[in-house]
Formats: sequence, C-alpha cells, structure tokens
Amino acid sequence: MSWLSRARNAFRAGRVESELDEEMRFHLEARAEELMREGREANDAEREARRRMGNLLALREESRDVKLAPWMESLWRDARFGVRMLWKDRVVSLAALVSLALAIGACTAAFLLIDALILRPLPVRQPERLIYLTYEEGGPGPATGFSYPMLQRLQAASREQVELFAASVQGRDSAVFDHGAAEDVHGQFVSGNFFETLGVDAALGRVLSPSDDRAQDAGPVAVLAYSFWMRRFGGSPSVLGRWFQYEGKAFQIAGVARQGFTGVETGTRTDFWVPLTMGRAEAMADWKWQWFRILGRLRPGVPAQQAQQVLQAAFRNARREWAPAAFGANDAPEALRDFLDASLQAQPAAGGPSFLRQAFARPLWILAVVAGLVLLIACSNLANLFTARALARQREMALRISIGAGRGRLVQQLLVEGGLLAAAACALGLAFAGAVAPAIVGMLRSPRDPAYLDLHLGLRTMAFAALAGFAATLLFALLPAVRASAADPHEALKSGGFRSSASHGPLRAMLAAQIGLSFMVLFAGGMFVLSFARLVSRDLGFSRDGVALVKVRVTDRNAQDTRLTMTELLDRVRAIPGVQSAGVSEWGLFSGVGWRDNVLIPGRAPDALESIVLPVSPGFFRTMGMRLLEGRDIARRDLEARSEAVVVNQAFARHFFPGEDPIGKQFFRPESRLPNRDYATSDRTGYPQRIVGLVRDAQYASVRGPVDPTYYIPLNDLAEGSLAVRTAGNPLQVVPQVAASVRAFGHGLEVTEVTLQSRLVGLALLRERLLAVLSGFFGLVAIVLAAVGFYGVLSYSVARRTRELGIRLALGARRRSVVRLVMSEIALVTAAGLAAGFGGGEVLSRFVGKLLYEVKPADVASVGLPLACFLAAAAVAAIRPALRAARVDPAIALREE
Amino acid sequence: MKRQDALQGSLPLLVLKVLNRRGPLHGYGIAGHIESMSDEVLRVEEGSLYPALHRMEEERWIKAKWVTTENKRRARVYEITASGRKQLQAEEGRWRSVTAAVHQVLEQA
Repeated sequence: MSWLSRARNAFRAGRVESELDEEMRFHLEARAEELMREGREANDAEREARRRMGNLLALREESRDVKLAPWMESLWRDARFGVRMLWKDRVVSLAALVSLALAIGACTAAFLLIDALILRPLPVRQPERLIYLTYEEGGPGPATGFSYPMLQRLQAASREQVELFAASVQGRDSAVFDHGAAEDVHGQFVSGNFFETLGVDAALGRVLSPSDDRAQDAGPVAVLAYSFWMRRFGGSPSVLGRWFQYEGKAFQIAGVARQGFTGVETGTRTDFWVPLTMGRAEAMADWKWQWFRILGRLRPGVPAQQAQQVLQAAFRNARREWAPAAFGANDAPEALRDFLDASLQAQPAAGGPSFLRQAFARPLWILAVVAGLVLLIACSNLANLFTARALARQREMALRISIGAGRGRLVQQLLVEGGLLAAAACALGLAFAGAVAPAIVGMLRSPRDPAYLDLHLGLRTMAFAALAGFAATLLFALLPAVRASAADPHEALKSGGFRSSASHGPLRAMLAAQIGLSFMVLFAGGMFVLSFARLVSRDLGFSRDGVALVKVRVTDRNAQDTRLTMTELLDRVRAIPGVQSAGVSEWGLFSGVGWRDNVLIPGRAPDALESIVLPVSPGFFRTMGMRLLEGRDIARRDLEARSEAVVVNQAFARHFFPGEDPIGKQFFRPESRLPNRDYATSDRTGYPQRIVGLVRDAQYASVRGPVDPTYYIPLNDLAEGSLAVRTAGNPLQVVPQVAASVRAFGHGLEVTEVTLQSRLVGLALLRERLLAVLSGFFGLVAIVLAAVGFYGVLSYSVARRTRELGIRLALGARRRSVVRLVMSEIALVTAAGLAAGFGGGEVLSRFVGKLLYEVKPADVASVGLPLACFLAAAAVAAIRPALRAARVDPAIALREE
Repeated sequence: MKRQDALQGSLPLLVLKVLNRRGPLHGYGIAGHIESMSDEVLRVEEGSLYPALHRMEEERWIKAKWVTTENKRRARVYEITASGRKQLQAEEGRWRSVTAAVHQVLEQA
C-alpha cells in the first residue's frame, strides 16, 4: 500500500471499516447459504462458514476496534497484549528483564553517587555564589589548608568582594557526653559567620554567630547537626544547655541546625560545629598551623575572578612578610621560591569542597561510562530479541496492514511491549541502585571512618532512571518495530516468515556493535583488575601479613622517659607464646600519619628534598620484615643515651651518598619544624646523626611509586605509639593477650585501637579496589550478555540457512565445511566488532591512564586477557548452534518448505 | 511502493482472468469460480483473497462498487479495468512461458 492511499484511508477510516465489515458479512452469509443448499442445517452451516473465515475475522474485529477506540484505550489494549506476548515467552522475557534491570540499576547507582558527590548543590542559600580557596605549592595537588593569621589577612583585604569563612578539616574524633564513654564523632571548627553566610538557620535554639568567636576561648558553645541530634538524642529539646567534652574543652549545646544540612565538606557528615577560636591557642597565632579550609560567598555582582585577584595579592603579601623568618641559609632556594610563588585560586564551591570528590570523581565517572556501555549492550541484546520476535510476527503484521491497520499502530504495539519491559526494569533497577549505592559508599573509606553521602532516592534519581528506561526502549524496540511494520504484506503473506535475507544485515551490525561494546567494557575491567592485582602483589619492601598493630597511649601526661617504658612493655609482649617478634614505632606504616624533614650534610648546599622520618624501637625492622642490609639495628642503648645512631634506607643512601658506603656517615637533622621552634632563626644546624645501619627500601604510605629516602631515628618520648606484633598464625589471636599484658604492665598505658598491617595497606588501595571490583563485575556482566547475544544471532543464522545447508549437504558438502561456512560469517562480524571495541578501549584507556599501575593499553596482558575471556565465551555460546548446523538432515531440511 | 515482482504469485492472475472472462463478481463469487474452474484443486483462502483484492484495487487493476443482489443484500462487486487487462496480458504471457519451460524440462529430463 502506498503512503498516499494509506493517508487517504485514514481520512475515510470509518467508511472503509464499515465497507470491509459489510463485505465480510456478505461473504459469510453467501457461504452459509451455499452450505445450506448442499443440505446442511442452518446453524451448522453458519458455524462452518465462520470456521472457514476463521482468524481473519477476528483480526478484522481487532483492527476495527483499534481504529475506532480512542488512543488511550488502544494503549491499554496494547499493554494487555504486550503482557500476553511477554508472558508467552516468559523465560526469555525474564532474562531480558534481569539484564535490563541490572544495566539500568548500575547506571542509576552511578548517577545516585555522582549526583550526591559531584552534581547536587549544597542545601544552602544561593550555593552557586560560594567559592573555596586553594593554592599550588609545588606539591602533587592543590593545597587547601589555611592558618588563622592568613584568614584574618584575607578577610581584611577582601571585605568588598567576598565574605570569607573558615571550616576546619577534621577526621573522626571523640567526644564525651554526660560523663559517659568516648564516642566517635565528626566535629568541625568554624568561624562565627559560618551559618550566617551560608544562610542556614536553627531548627532549635540558635546557630553560631560572629560574637561566638570574637576572642580566644570566648564562645564555648556548639551547634548540633539535625541528623546527629536525632540519632544521638532522639530529637529531644532538652539537649539545649547540656555540656560535653571535645578536644580537651567543655562545650555547651546552644542549638540544632536546620534539617538536611550536614556541613560543607561533601563526603563527610558533620555532627556538630564549634567556634574557630575554641581551637588551640598556639594554632591561632602561628601561620604554620594550616588546619582549615577557607570558603566564601561572593558579594552581589562580584565575579569570582575579581575576588581571586584581590585575595591573591593579599595572600602573596602575607607570604612575603613571613618568608624571612621561615627560610634561612639551611633551606634550599627552591623551597623558598615555591613558597613565594604559590598562587591562590578561587574555586566554585556550589557542591561543597570535598576531599572525597577529589579522590573519587574520576573513578566514578569511569564507572558511570562503563555502566552506560553495559546498558547499551543490554539494549542491543534486547533489540536482537525484539527483531527476532518481530520477524516471527511478520505474517501477522502484514495481515493487519493489509486489512487497514496503520503502521504507526503497529509501531506503537511493539513500543508498548518494550516500554512495559523497560518500566519493570526501571522499578527493579531503582531498588537495585538503592541497595548497591550505600555498599559502594562503604568502599570509599575505611570502615572505621566511613564516607557519608546523601543517597535518598529522590525525584532526580527517579527521573534519571525513567529517562534511562525511555532511552533504552527507543534503542531496543523502535528500530525492530519500524522494520517489522514496514513488512510488505503481499510478500510476507505469500512466503510466511524467514525469507528476506535483507533483514539479516541489521542483526549482524547489532551483533558487531554489541561485541565491540562488550570488548570495551572487558578491556577496561581487565586493565583495572590487572592493575589492582599488580598493586596487591607488589613487593612493598616489608611483609604486611602476620602483623597486628596495637595503638598504645600514655594516659599520664606527666610521665617521664616513655620511650623506655615502651621498650619494657616490648619485653613482656615478646614473652607471649605465639609472638615471634615485636617492635614500636611512633606511628605505623600506611597509618596515614607522616613526617617529612630535610637533612643537612656538612659542607654541602641545602637540599630541597624532604626525607621521611620515623622514630622506631629496637626490633621494629625484624617485626616488619624489613631486611637489614648492612650495619646494625637501633639498639636499646641508643634509646637510653639518646644517641646519634640512625638507620637509613637504600634510597636515602643512593640520594645523599651515591657510590659510597653510608655506614658511619654523618648528617644533621633539623629540629622538627614544629610551631614556635623555628630552627632557622637559631644558629644551630640541628641534631647530629650518624648512620649505623642500612635497611632495604620499604614503602611508607603508598603502594605506588618509588620509595622515598627515609631515615629511622631511635624512639623519642612519646604520647602514643604503634606496637607491631608478628605471629606465625593469625595475629589477631594474640591481641587479647597483648592487651592484657598492657593492662597488667600499668604505667598508665592503654590500648586504643587494634588493626592489621595488611588492612592498612588495603586502605591505601581503596580507589583501585573499587575500580577493580566494579569494573570487573561489569566486565562479567558484559561478557554474559555478549555470549547470549552471540548465541541468539548464531542460532538464528543457522535456523535461517537450514535449507541451504541441507542442499549443500545433499550435494556432497562435508559437515565440517558446512559448520565452517556458518561460523566464518559470524567470525567476520566478531572480528569487526573486536577491532572496533579495541579502538574504543584505547580511547577509554587514555582517560583512565593515571589510575592504572604498570598496565598499559598496548600490553600483551591487557589485550590478551579480555580477548581470551571473550573468545572463550564466544566458543561456549557457539557450541549448540554449531552442532545444530552439523546435524542438519538434508532430507528433512529440504522437505520443510 | 510499486513493485513489478511483487505480483509473481498466481492468485492475482487468476482473479484477473476470472473477472475478465465472467465480468463483475463479488469476492465470494471469485473464490467460487476459481475453485470450480480448477475442479476444486485450487482452493482460495479468504485470508489471501481479500488482501489481494484490496491490493489490486490500490494498483487500479480492478475497481469495486456496491450493488444490491436479488435478495436485497448489498454486495461489493469487482470489475477489471483497462490497466488490469494490460496486466492480465503481461502476467498470462509470463505464466505461459514459465510453465512451458517447466513442461519442456519435465518432458526432456
């Protein structure tokens, strides 16, 4: 039928319908009359006539109803029909539903996380006018820590352009409420104008005001976060006026902030806020205490660029003033230059500044892209399914077209069927995302200090899922629907089904696309898994397994010679059965604490390189499995006499004494750069040190990268130390005995924390683990989906060519060559898909390069692994269709048509 | 959407032939004529007949009109057109040459 005449029919639809109707009725009656003339009973004759009319009449009725009924009703009919069609093929439909739900769920989970961490603005007044300050100081990333003197300088210079405020960067901390036990909390020191500037008011009592932080220790008040108030105090109004202990000071609860406000540091849930001036007194006067972020709200009409220029000038002026006192002859000129040249930036802070975002924005975007690819793969699978179904129904379609059903009507029917599937998948996907997203957030930080993101399934997320479902429906249902409805009625009615070879082309293109996409996902997943595997198995220079780390704190602030107390404790711990060795360091490797300092070598110019410094007890190297290459370990007598002895690592020896024997060499360690102890202003060169031992290079805080020069000094008197215990079996088993012996030992020591060295190393690889686990999972899903698609197309191809294969076999072709014939066609498609997928993978890998470790896209392993996986899956998927092709019986195949 | 080869099936040919020889007929009559003229060997399914009739009407090979039959019922009657006759000629020629060829093969093989 031509488009023109169909359009004409549409205008006179009613007449066409009733005419068709009448014509059919005439036929029916004429047939019945004839049958009666032949001697049949009237009822019998009519029944027989109807029987011969059969299906056609039913279809006629259906298409008439559709045309006459309003559109909504036709949708409803289509939905019911769609459910019937889906139900008829329920195993296939269920598989389709699960794969689509998984893909939509993965995309939605990615969106949920990205929205919470990156996109969603802070729930404050005009978040787009907020900025936060960073500066480049020669380090790997921008620095964000500022001092109180700097805050005052910047505020004074920029009052016209921006209202600045401060928010400290706090980790997990402890507070004591109502004389109870210490509780884990997230407190934050903020300037008095924090709430006012953000536009956050109180749900109960009052928020902090500028008068609270006018002077040191002037405002011992705290404002609780709404969620903390609910969680800890059950929302009781009687919390107002109560006191609690935090950071060695007492605070009175003055109010509760408005619901929904969890602080400005996205990724961390703040439990309460206290005034900045309640911080330590020394932290207020000294510019070297850089302990908070500076944020600001731009004044109306002031562009961020203008504010930045003013702030930049003030920042540099302050640094120029401070430099002479901070840098002396013992400092490398590069260090001074970096200090003076540091440039200040005003970054947009609509979403709140976030360390978590800095670390995880890229991995999350990568995972979102991978999830999107998985959705595309699932869609192409479904498109295959729908195409096959549509082909099977071509006869039905053609008949409906020939008796007047519009093509749009048929497209609608198939789209509704797809839409039903997608809607169900969306609902399941949302549930999946809601369950999975919190688990992923749990992987972002250590379980002791979990990240917090607001993950409620809001309108934004639902809208996203609906959009994904809609787009998916268009992708997998529209094309097959349009193609099927374009069936030429005459042709289709005559031949009935699998005929036109033209319909095979798009199937093949789809398969190639699907193979390409799955290969991309596999490729990316393979690289992350490989990278993670290499990192995990990397030789760190020490042995991470079998070591428990027990944090021991000296409760008595006036205790003397605590370094010696620790060595006595060590003797007791070593006596515990099962303990192979034990040692103390001031903090553990990979514990997140670090101390770097430069060294001075007599007769040489100052070196800008800062070495890692770690105070350790005798036995530390043995316990950590760090091999002593030369010289001796730190000994007890070094601790007792506070001797000059120091052990250095190979990197230190290589850098400072290349080609020389480091043992016996001398250098000076500057007095540590603690505030108020400015070594450069004194004429001292620092502590003299003499190298007594050389130890193997060991990683200190990061699994990646080269080992930095490190020197280990004898343990100093300390307030808290990390007791490392090595055992033959599971080190956690001896921990109760270690804790008991610490208690029995007395001297005011207590155990505050227990962990495993291997766990700490694991925490340094959270990002890599997240990427490996999730992209590996996606790779698995992709390969299963690809195998299913592969199987489907191959089966279809064999079914379609059964007759041809039968002829070939009948003419004497060998079975093996027949199988090869079928396979070679698919192999070509596969090769094309793989080539495209490899190209796509290359592009993707350029984006992920920085996150990889010793894995390059062009590596044999990173190409070979996904390729091998893929070929294995393809081979498994091809077994059945290949057997079917080989078992074609020429006699049966030829008789079939 | 005019396709020359779309009408290679024999049903339109038979319909045209019947209409050409017998004059205007309704669908039921066409089916009956084909069946009786072929000694009931060719059986015309309604599912094929009416779509074919409507198609041929679209192609303007036949035209239809409503008439009232002797027992006062309205029937839709089809009539061959000039272009239908031309089509019939062409189709018939092609059909004969094909069957002749098949016949020749059958005889000589």
